[in-house]
Amino acid sequence: MNTFREFYNDNKDRFFGYLLRRSGDHFLAADTLQESFTKYLERYGKGELSVSLLFTIGRNLLNDNSRRQRPSIPFNEDEHRSEGDEESAFLVREESRRVLDALQQLDPDEIEVLSLAVNSGLSYKKIAEHTGTSESNIKVKIHRSRLKLKKILLASEL
Amino acid sequence: MKEYLISMFIDNELNLDEKIDFVKTIHKEQPFKDEALALLEQEKLIHAEYLHQAPQIQIPMKQEPEKGFSIPWLWPAALFSTGVALGAAVLFMLPTSIPIAIPSTTVSTEIPHRFVIYRPHAEQADIIGTFTNWQPLAMEKLGPSGYWSLTLNLPEGEYQYSYLVEDGQQITDPTVSERVQDDFGGENSILSVKV
Repeated sequence: MNTFREFYNDNKDRFFGYLLRRSGDHFLAADTLQESFTKYLERYGKGELSVSLLFTIGRNLLNDNSRRQRPSIPFNEDEHRSEGDEESAFLVREESRRVLDALQQLDPDEIEVLSLAVNSGLSYKKIAEHTGTSESNIKVKIHRSRLKLKKILLASEL
Repeated sequence: MKEYLISMFIDNELNLDEKIDFVKTIHKEQPFKDEALALLEQEKLIHAEYLHQAPQIQIPMKQEPEKGFSIPWLWPAALFSTGVALGAAVLFMLPTSIPIAIPSTTVSTEIPHRFVIYRPHAEQADIIGTFTNWQPLAMEKLGPSGYWSLTLNLPEGEYQYSYLVEDGQQITDPTVSERVQDDFGGENSILSVKV
């Protein structure tokens, strides 16, 4: 159980970042975070702990359209407040929101590969296996997604 | 074009030769350098701390049971005594003229297991395994999501399986790390179902 706790502590932040970027919805990401770890523990907790499997469970849950009623997890903004004064904290939040909105304008497969590259810690090879494509395809796709995001962000500044 | 080297640099995917190539290109081509710097700045935004802190959640992690006072070598004797007492009680309650019914069947419990594979470009996806006698079983496409799914009720046991995707290509389940070699030079995933 301690091993799973370590696994949870090691991965919760980056996994949450992935879920947030994939969904663009803080509440859904928080809910899916909880559901993913719970499901992992129930079904696979006794086996070898795999980051790839955790991200697959999260992805599948986000894609599951038949989601039932979810428990509400309040968003405590104080936990996410940056260092510094109120104004700079506000600017950081606004900027983060802008990036998140821009990410949601990418195609679903672009959000998927870019979120995995940014958050999962998985190699391109593992991401290729995870998404059912080739490694050479993945490296091009990740880069194109970054370039597209750059265009969207530039447009949002105008 | 070597543009994707920038993303590989950001994601720590460059090997030594590619690193040399990357540095040379940075020094030689100003637009490449500008693009690399712009994407690195963008990466700082994507990695903003604000987007990286998981909220507090509750995971039902069970604690290891407290170890109480016990004397292991007494267990067989205790179990035997309990068994004898229960047996005597049952025999005492049963009329001798009625034969004792011995159940001839055991209860079979099956667990639903959902198989999911992401194959956005496949026109068909099947699953084959020991539970299908290696006969292909069609999976259901989940709308435009790119996912294929099939839920099977399986009794307790260990199973081998694979997916059949584009042009009959056989692939293992990318979400399952346990695999076994088959007799034809390929691999199958292993699924353990516990009731």
